[in-house]
Amino acid sequence: MTGKRRLWATTAFAGAIAVASMAVSNAYHQQLLTVIGIHTLLALGLNMLMGYAGQISLGHAAFYGLGAYGTGILTTHYGWSPWAAFPLVLVAAGAVAYVIGRPTLKLSGYYLAMGTLGLGIIGHVIFREWDSMTGGASGMVGIPPLQVGGTVLSLGRSGMILVWVVVLMAFFFCDRLVDSRIGRALRALGDSQGAAAACGVDTGRLKAVIFSFSAVLTALAGFLYAHLVGFISPSSFDFLMSIRMVTMVVIGGMASIYGSLFGASVITLLPEWLHVFSDYEMMVYGLVLMLVMIFLPQGLTRGVLDALEGVKSES
Amino acid sequence: MADRTILHIDGVSKAFGGVQALYRVGFRVAKGHIQAVIGPNGAGKTTLFNVITGATCPDEGRIVLEGMEIQGRPMHELVARGIARTFQNVELFASLTVLENVLVGRHVRTRCGLVGAMVRWPWVEREERGARDAAMELLGFVGLEEVAHKMSGDLPFGWQRLVEIARALASDPRLLLLDEPAAGLNAVETAALADLIQKIRSRGITVVLVEHDMNLTMDISDRIVVLDRGRKLAEGTPREIQADEAVMEAYLGRKG
Ligand SMILES: Nc1ncnc2c1ncn2[C@@H]1O[C@H](COP(=O)(O)OP(=O)(O)O)[C@@H](O)[C@H]1O
Ligand SMILES: [Mg+2]
Repeated sequence: MTGKRRLWATTAFAGAIAVASMAVSNAYHQQLLTVIGIHTLLALGLNMLMGYAGQISLGHAAFYGLGAYGTGILTTHYGWSPWAAFPLVLVAAGAVAYVIGRPTLKLSGYYLAMGTLGLGIIGHVIFREWDSMTGGASGMVGIPPLQVGGTVLSLGRSGMILVWVVVLMAFFFCDRLVDSRIGRALRALGDSQGAAAACGVDTGRLKAVIFSFSAVLTALAGFLYAHLVGFISPSSFDFLMSIRMVTMVVIGGMASIYGSLFGASVITLLPEWLHVFSDYEMMVYGLVLMLVMIFLPQGLTRGVLDALEGVKSES
Repeated sequence: MADRTILHIDGVSKAFGGVQALYRVGFRVAKGHIQAVIGPNGAGKTTLFNVITGATCPDEGRIVLEGMEIQGRPMHELVARGIARTFQNVELFASLTVLENVLVGRHVRTRCGLVGAMVRWPWVEREERGARDAAMELLGFVGLEEVAHKMSGDLPFGWQRLVEIARALASDPRLLLLDEPAAGLNAVETAALADLIQKIRSRGITVVLVEHDMNLTMDISDRIVVLDRGRKLAEGTPREIQADEAVMEAYLGRKG
């Protein structure tokens, strides 16, 4: 996106957030929008890795959980202020991802899929079994809410605004990132690793860097989730969550920043509207992934836009 | 003579399973020359390029760039040291515009990292502008300024080859390796390419040119190495190569 278009998109988006934050007063709707916002961060984080660099992760829930449990443990067990925990959990997520990514990402994509799958399982086991710290299967309660100045940001209007302001900032910065030296190298890497390397891109390092960046965004979502909901349990950070994240990216469209918003909305709203869904969630995701990959490999958003373009140019 | 040598290939071998793609190949490339490497399909020309650029590690032998052994060094380091290449089957980044493709070529001459890209410090903006100017200049050099903002995959094949050359030049190489740049081009395009390669040389860049065919190389190259089934068959000026009966019989005779 050019600078001008970026400014426009950001302004329009900020306007939409402002309007929504005033117009939506139903508590249930506010919660729903908050969750969509958090899921958008998750989709955006994973999209930077999957969509742009062309690498898959099947264990991103571990970073989501690292953000949530990290801040949960530091604030409840050790009495840290959330704002002190904030930089630490983000740096921890980034560092863990870099250390895991550096060796695995040198190899082909399947190794990363396997490596991250293992990471996701290990994460989930730690969240569930480390009773003394994480509260085990029953989870952690009493995570303090965030405070800015004297204002408590809790689930409701203030929490919703917080999450969407963070989403807006994440969009803005990711968009800049995509349109930069690093972003071009990433997209080049996604297109042809051999040619990117021949252009002097240190592909192994770049992949680890973007994996780490993606983990930081994901942990940020976990941090917000923990403080807004105040309660976390291992079931929110399991394999199904990792698959949900992959599905959001695939539906929204690989390499599409605003598509992340769409993918996150669909995956948040569908189970709300279709209650039968919950029993078959995994199956439905599997089916969606298969169908989108076969028929609209660029994702639903891009696919529908292209189809509309086609209709327009024919008429 | 030694100080005139930019690249010294010294007894390089490379086997893939039972196929000896290169066997004790050795020659020197002089600074500022257009050096051709010719030979029939499967002679080992592309493998030679892969070994020089660090894409493949040789089984034995040395590759010396300006006095420094470089075999086994990572590719990005060699690009930074001044080696750039193009591919036999053009490998542009299809989801990038023409200009962006050339900007990726500029990667090793720019420094902006992840944080810089998001914050956009003044020096990042300056660096980006500088890179864009350099990329546009190169697109002008190969005659493709007008299509800078098109998607690279939408260009005709001949132009894609030129974009790839511009992308390789964007890293400010001292040594440019062109892998069959005339393949798939028509006669007019090939003639223009010959001019372009000479213009590249007059920018002070040494060119190693792999060609399947002898015609282009006879006109523009200073020296020619002939490879056949992984071995060096002959080496000399175009005139010497043309006069070399062994080459003409073994190479052209078998082909025709
Ligand atoms: N990666 C590889 N794996 C197996 N065999 C290869 C590989 N690369 C090249 N070869 C073989 O090495 C020989 C030389 O190939 P190449 O260097 O591409 O020749 P040229 O470029 O002169 O046509 C051929 O027999 C080819 O099949
Ligand atoms: Mg070849």
